[in-house]
Amino acid sequence: MSEPVVYDPADFGAIPTPRALRKWMRETRRKHADRSFGQLFEDVYLVIFTLAMLGATGGNVVKHLNADMATCDSQHCWRLWEVIPYILIPLLVATTLRALVSIGPVSGSQATGFWLLGTPVNRSALLRPTYWKAMAGTAVLGGLVSTVAWAVLGSPFTSLVEVSIVTTALMICAACVTVWAQQAERRTWWTLRVADVLLVVAAIPAVWLAVQRFREPQVQFANVILYLTPRYADEMPARSLQDFRVPLIGLVSLVVVLGLVVWTARTLGRLSRTSVIAGGELLAGLAGAASSLDPSMLADVVSGRHWRLRGRARTRRGRGSEGAALIHREFVRILRWPRRLVMAFALLVVPYAVAGAGFDPLVPIAAGFAGFAAIRPLMDGLRSVCRSKGLVRALGYDLRELRILMAIAPGLITVVWALAAYPILGSGAATFAVGAGAIAGAVRQASARPPSYAGPLVASPMGAIPPGLFSQPMRGFDVLLICLAPVLLGLSSTWLLVIPGFVLAIMFSLRPKTD
Amino acid sequence: MSAATPRLAIEDLQHKYGDRPVIEGLTFTLDAGQAIALVGPNGAGKTTVLKCIVGAAEPAAGTILLDGEPIDERSEAVRRAVATLLDDLDFFPDLTAAEHLDLLARAHGNATPEDLVDTLLDDIGLLPAADQLPGSLSSGQRRRLALATTLVRPRKLLVLDEPEARLDVDGVRWLSERLIEEKKSGTSILFASHDPALVEAVADSVVTLTPLP
Repeated sequence: MSEPVVYDPADFGAIPTPRALRKWMRETRRKHADRSFGQLFEDVYLVIFTLAMLGATGGNVVKHLNADMATCDSQHCWRLWEVIPYILIPLLVATTLRALVSIGPVSGSQATGFWLLGTPVNRSALLRPTYWKAMAGTAVLGGLVSTVAWAVLGSPFTSLVEVSIVTTALMICAACVTVWAQQAERRTWWTLRVADVLLVVAAIPAVWLAVQRFREPQVQFANVILYLTPRYADEMPARSLQDFRVPLIGLVSLVVVLGLVVWTARTLGRLSRTSVIAGGELLAGLAGAASSLDPSMLADVVSGRHWRLRGRARTRRGRGSEGAALIHREFVRILRWPRRLVMAFALLVVPYAVAGAGFDPLVPIAAGFAGFAAIRPLMDGLRSVCRSKGLVRALGYDLRELRILMAIAPGLITVVWALAAYPILGSGAATFAVGAGAIAGAVRQASARPPSYAGPLVASPMGAIPPGLFSQPMRGFDVLLICLAPVLLGLSSTWLLVIPGFVLAIMFSLRPKTD
Repeated sequence: MSAATPRLAIEDLQHKYGDRPVIEGLTFTLDAGQAIALVGPNGAGKTTVLKCIVGAAEPAAGTILLDGEPIDERSEAVRRAVATLLDDLDFFPDLTAAEHLDLLARAHGNATPEDLVDTLLDDIGLLPAADQLPGSLSSGQRRRLALATTLVRPRKLLVLDEPEARLDVDGVRWLSERLIEEKKSGTSILFASHDPALVEAVADSVVTLTPLP
C-alpha cells in the first residue's frame, strides 16, 4: 500500500497570475495540436473566399440600394426616413440587451467554471479576455448591422458614418450595462424590463406608420416632396463645421465607450461562477445548433433554457380525451408563455407599417414573413414530438396524426392573425395565401429533422457533410414562398386559393421523417 | 385469438448494424401475465431486441407477432397495446410532471384521469414534484416520470429497457412490486435488466443474450 499524501504548505508557492495560467494552457494545447496553420488554411480557404465573395456581393447590393433610396423623392421614402430611426435604434439596443443578457455576456464553459473559476487565481483577470471578446463582437456586429441598415435607408456617406458610430456606441454601452446586470439577479430583471420598454418605444412609431394608411387619402405630394428631398443638404451645417462633425462624433463616442468599457472591466471580479457558466452552456448549445444550420434547434435551445430557468408551473388539468385532449393541451401550452402570443399579434404591425409607408407590393410578403415569425414560436409542442420518437410512442398516435392535431391550436391563431391582417391585404384570397403560407412554413420548420451525421455523407471541399445541410435554414421559408408566389406574381384569386391549398394538403398528408 | 396464442411471439429474429450481426436466430414466446427478462453484457443486443419489437429498429429477418398478428408500430391497435420505455423518451419542456401524465391518459382515451394521475404520482413518489417542469427534475425523478408514462395508459404488453436505471433502492423495490402487480392484472412484460434481484423477483423466465463475434 502506498504512503498517504501529506499536505505541506511548503509545497505550494504563490498563486499564479492569470496570464501565466493562460500561457501554460496555450502551450499545453499547442503540444496536442496535430495540424499546422498552413494545413488549417488549406481547409478553410474555401470558407474565407466564400465569405469574401458574399461580402462583396452583399456590399454591392447595399451600395445600389443606398443609391436608389437616396434618389427616391416620393412621399413614402420621406415618411420612412422620418420614422425608421425611431424604430431602429431602440430595436437594436433592446435586441443587444436581451441577447447579451441571455448569454452572459461574460460566459465560460463548465470546464472553465469548474477548473479555473474555483481557484484563487484573480477572477477578474481570468474573465477579461472573454469580456473583451464580447465587447469586440458587439462592436463589429453592431457596426455592421447599423451601417447596413442606415445604408439601405439611403443615408449619404457622412450621415451614414455619423449614425453608424452613434448606434454602435449605443450598442456597446448596452453591452456594458448587461455586464453590470450579470452581477446581480435583480439588475438582470431591471435590464430586461428596460429592453421591454425599448421594444414598446420601437413599436410606437411603427404603429404610427401603420395608421397613416387609414388617416390620409392616397395622394402624391410630389411637389412638396421634391422640395423636401435635399433634406440632408438643408440640414447640413456649413462646410467647415461638417468637416469636423464626423471626427467629433467619433471622438466623443470613443471617449464615452472606452470610459464605460474600462470601468465595467474593473467590476468583472464580482461575477458569480454560476452566471458565467450558464451563459457558456447556452452558447455551446447555440453553437451546436448553428453548426447544423438548423433554426429549429436554435429555438429549442432558447426555449429549453427558458423552461429550465422557470422550473415550476401551475399544473392545469386537461379537457376531453384523445385528439381533443391534445388540442386543448396545445392551447394551454401557448397561453403558458403569453409573451410569445403578445409578440405574435404585435407583429401584425409589420404589414400595416409597410403599407403605411406606401410599399404596397411588399405588403403580402411582409405579412407572410411576419405571420411565419408570429406562428413558429407557438409550435413547441409539435417540435417536441418530432424530435422524440419515445414521446410519439407514449402518446400512441402516428406522427402524421400528431402533426395535424398539434397544428390545430396554432392554426386557429393563424386564422385570427390572418383575419386581422385582412384589411391591409385587401382580398380574401390573398389573406388565405398569407395564412396558409405562415402555418405551412411554421409546421414544416417545426417538424424538420436535424441533419444526421450518422447516415450517408456527401463529400465536399469542406469535408463530409450530411445531405440537405445547406437547405436546412430554408426549411419552412420554401413553402411560405410557394404560397406567396401567386400573390407576388399577381395571379388570379383561383390560383391564390389553389396553390396554398395544395401546399397545405401535401403538408398534412405526408408523414414527417424522423430518422 | 385462440387460448394457445401467446401475447408476444418472436421467431428467428435477426438484426445487423451494417454487416455486423447483433442478433441471430432469437426465438421465444411471452404469454399474458408473464414476464421475460433479457439479460446479458453490454453490446449483447438487449435494447436492439426491444427496439425491433416497438418498431424503433428494423429486423433483418424473423417475425414478431403480437396476439398472433405481425407487429407494426404504424397500426393503431399496436400503439394502444404496447407501452414502451426506451432511452429515447424526451419530455415537453413546458408541461409539468402532472400535466404529462394527464395528457398521456387523455390521449389514450381516458377523459377523467385526475384521480389516476394523482394516485400514480403519489405511488411513484412524484407528488411533491407534480408542478415541476422536466428541466428542473433530477435524473431519478425524470426516470420515475418516464416509468409513470407507461403505467398511466392502457397496456397489454410492457416493453422496458433497464427500468431500474437511475432509481434509488426504494425506487427499485417499488418497481419490482409494481411489475408483479402488472403481471397479476394480465399485462405481459418484456424487460432488459442488469439487476439480478429485479430479474429474480419479476421474471418468469430469462433470455440470456451474448455478444456475437
